[in-house]
Amino acid sequence: MTRVRLALLATLLAAPAAAHHVGAYVPKDNAVTINFKQVKFSVQARKFDVALRLFETGALRAEMRAHAATLPAGLEDGTRAALAASDGPEVERRLMIFFAALARDLALEADRRLAEAGGTAESRAATGRKFLEAIWRYYNLVDFAVATRDNKTSVAVRLAFDEAETYVKPATGAAAPADPARLRPPLQRIAQVLSTLIEASPTQARRDS
Amino acid sequence: MTVAAEPHPWRVPPRWVLLVAVLSIVCAEVGGASMARFKVELTRWARDAMLARPAVHGLVGVRDVDERILDEALVKFDAGLRLFHMHAEGMGLVIIATTMVAATVARAGVARRVIIALLTTGGAGYPVGYLVWSALIPAYGLERAKTIAEWLVWIPFGSATLVALWWLTGLIALRMARP
Repeated sequence: MTRVRLALLATLLAAPAAAHHVGAYVPKDNAVTINFKQVKFSVQARKFDVALRLFETGALRAEMRAHAATLPAGLEDGTRAALAASDGPEVERRLMIFFAALARDLALEADRRLAEAGGTAESRAATGRKFLEAIWRYYNLVDFAVATRDNKTSVAVRLAFDEAETYVKPATGAAAPADPARLRPPLQRIAQVLSTLIEASPTQARRDS
Repeated sequence: MTVAAEPHPWRVPPRWVLLVAVLSIVCAEVGGASMARFKVELTRWARDAMLARPAVHGLVGVRDVDERILDEALVKFDAGLRLFHMHAEGMGLVIIATTMVAATVARAGVARRVIIALLTTGGAGYPVGYLVWSALIPAYGLERAKTIAEWLVWIPFGSATLVALWWLTGLIALRMARP
């Protein structure tokens, strides 16, 4: 009995050994989101020459060129023209379209990956979770701009995103386990809503009439 | 002038204990210096090893998704090396201080030897867990590497230190209660 008590005491005393410190990870901005913030803050400060230089030399423009095939025609030229014309709202609108397109492409890719057979439910849920993180990282940057122009789209994306998140959360306690099969409809909804937003936003140079 | 004799003069722990503690501090310094000197090489090695095992790390082949996964793993890889440096340095001093208290306070020979052995092995072994964790991240992924390090190093060596420290605390409390 004494031995059992001693063993129990030793276990209780040593329990904190399992609670070691392993550091915390805070997700960082990537080159595109950093450049977006630089341009955005320069525009807000009405330093359009600085914003134009940052845009022309930064990752935003390079990414626009890399994704030219899936972006609306004239987006890059129009953004540069808006910066040159010191047109802040137009710069914001074009950057909103760009990030909405990036988020939409990620949602489409995630849906395509989840449609493929193979992998366990956990690994598919983990893949879905990572795609959702990437989608939100881009969409979150322009959600306010979307909401001020088209509140219904903003609400629809956020609702679909919230729903998608519930299907990929790891099981904890009484919560249901991850269900990646149900993740596809909200992802498709995100892609569809963002496509509608992009198509409804003209990107060709406006003509004075 | 008379000098009052100290009632409990401090006793020095065994030499092997001091050697282990000093070695732990030396390893911490060498580790910290190497981490700074070979930072680029270490990061490149870890990144290449992770890219060679996409399934282990859940890489999906989409840059916007993968860059975040790689960044987190590299941050944790670096954190493991830093934590080894910090813990090995600190635990070296903890070993010296606590074994000195044990050598002075614990009267019973067996108890004293066991406490000192637990404090020394636990204190010197625990920081190695961070090195193991860091080294295993590229091959096994964050969570699996952590689990291996936990069961191989952190839990056994951390438990040894904690049990010894509580035992020592109990002995000190007993001595205070029965002067």
